Amino acid sequence: MPPAIVALLVTSLSVTVVMIVASGFGWRILRCWNINSGSEGQLTLERRTYLISTLLCYVVVAELLSLWLFVHTAESLSDQFVGAMCATGVLNVNRFGFPTLLLKIAIFFLGAAWLILNRVDNQADDYPLIRVKYGLLLIIAPLVWAEAIVQLCFFLGLNPNIITSCCGTLFSADAQGVGGELSGFKPMPMLLLFYGVAVMTLTSGWWFVRHRRGGVLFAVISLLAFAIAIAAIISFLSLYVYESPHHHCPFCLLKSGYDYVGYGLYLPLFIATAFGLGVGTITPFARIASLREVIRGDAQRFAVLALAGFSVFYAFASYLILRSPLILIEWH
Amino acid sequence: MIECLAVTKAFNQGKPNEFWAIRGVTMALERHHMTVFKGPSGSGKTTLLSLIGCLSRPTSGRIKLDGRLLSGLPERFLTDVRRHTFGFIFQQFHLIRGVTALENVMLPAYPLGRRRAELLAAAGRLLEQLGLSAKADCRVEWLSGGEAQRVAIARALINDPDILIADEPTANLDSALSGELLTIFSRLKAQGKTLLVSSHDPLVFGSAATDRVIEMRDGRLAEDALC
Repeated sequence: MPPAIVALLVTSLSVTVVMIVASGFGWRILRCWNINSGSEGQLTLERRTYLISTLLCYVVVAELLSLWLFVHTAESLSDQFVGAMCATGVLNVNRFGFPTLLLKIAIFFLGAAWLILNRVDNQADDYPLIRVKYGLLLIIAPLVWAEAIVQLCFFLGLNPNIITSCCGTLFSADAQGVGGELSGFKPMPMLLLFYGVAVMTLTSGWWFVRHRRGGVLFAVISLLAFAIAIAAIISFLSLYVYESPHHHCPFCLLKSGYDYVGYGLYLPLFIATAFGLGVGTITPFARIASLREVIRGDAQRFAVLALAGFSVFYAFASYLILRSPLILIEWH
Repeated sequence: MIECLAVTKAFNQGKPNEFWAIRGVTMALERHHMTVFKGPSGSGKTTLLSLIGCLSRPTSGRIKLDGRLLSGLPERFLTDVRRHTFGFIFQQFHLIRGVTALENVMLPAYPLGRRRAELLAAAGRLLEQLGLSAKADCRVEWLSGGEAQRVAIARALINDPDILIADEPTANLDSALSGELLTIFSRLKAQGKTLLVSSHDPLVFGSAATDRVIEMRDGRLAEDALC
């Protein structure tokens, strides 16, 4: 078994175990937490929350990193399966590949939001977000458990005798499903939508940094920008990179043959979206007295980081379009 | 105002040697006063002072300082409170052997990142006020009991805390040195400091500097007598 798969399974097991313990604790927090009480139970919760949230920070970060390792592993296994040319083929070997990836992406953003909430909560001395934090944890935990099971099924079901389908089958205009739909979009409207949303994202981020208002709107637009960016990568951006009008795969971008440009697109996009979401996660709590200054500073910081990430992504995407000899759109 | 609300403290809880050092103490202590906790060994004086000074956490109950909940604070905030609000004088002084009196006084201020020149001046001033200027560069193991005690007081004052906690401060001093110590305490009280002292020395709780004596027995308040 390749070391990367062992690492993914061990990480998944560790995260699952910690999440089971933390969920039990979180449930007690939601039911019993009362900062005005001096009972033994309350004091025990106060002492333990520090330990549990520190442990959770480590496992959530591990879970976030596992998204990258999972995609990288799927990509590196592509030469082991007949018909697979990139991660798409490997994820298609059985029915658990893409659900694992989607769960990991969902956990990535929810986990990032949890880390940001935790950071803010830890800077106030009266545990103002403790219920929110553990409430969110109880939403993330079932996803983590589901991901652990689905990922295990995926790796156990990797039979080298299976002939899988390559990305050309899944991401083509004639294919069924979301991949086919996205590949079938006309480049021109998609390009306009892509840059229209880019302007909206950067403007709303700049507006928030400047006026300290509209944090939730910026988060919503960040999520929209993420979805449109993925659609744009499949629809037309990948075509410019591959210099081919029919190759829509979002995973081949991660190959050495294309200079790993996928990492240059996905890393800033995921990080920027996570920070953008973080801004929207914390700004609704800025009215809490003990958090006012903390959120004022952190939301500003995260918005700047999100703006930087989106700027890098859009700049790099534009560079890829401009440097490509492929002509998709006739301008005259 | 320092408030203790139904405070308990157990050691080795749930084990055969479980011991309840504090068994439900509720009281309010005035600021700018000198309060003396008296009682036999094992009555809970030191434990209670360590709880008030945020050196340990209660098993149940709350401790508030000027309305702010102290006992529930996360550790990073407690460290900050300990550094800025409380000064501690321990029964055995706990000075660092091998370094000078001046360095010992400066030690608790290092984590606060004050400029060294400013720190040296502050430590020198404190030693001067306590009559120890001549001993500033002496290693602490060369000092007499009374001198070591005064170095411990200077060290407790280096961060200019509002509250000074002294655990059996006269236990290792003769009557003359105990009298000197009480004079220093009177002066600190006049400067606006709050003093919380544990002692079973009649010289201390009979002193004119003492505003209030609280008697403890078996982890509970036995009496609360105004002086």
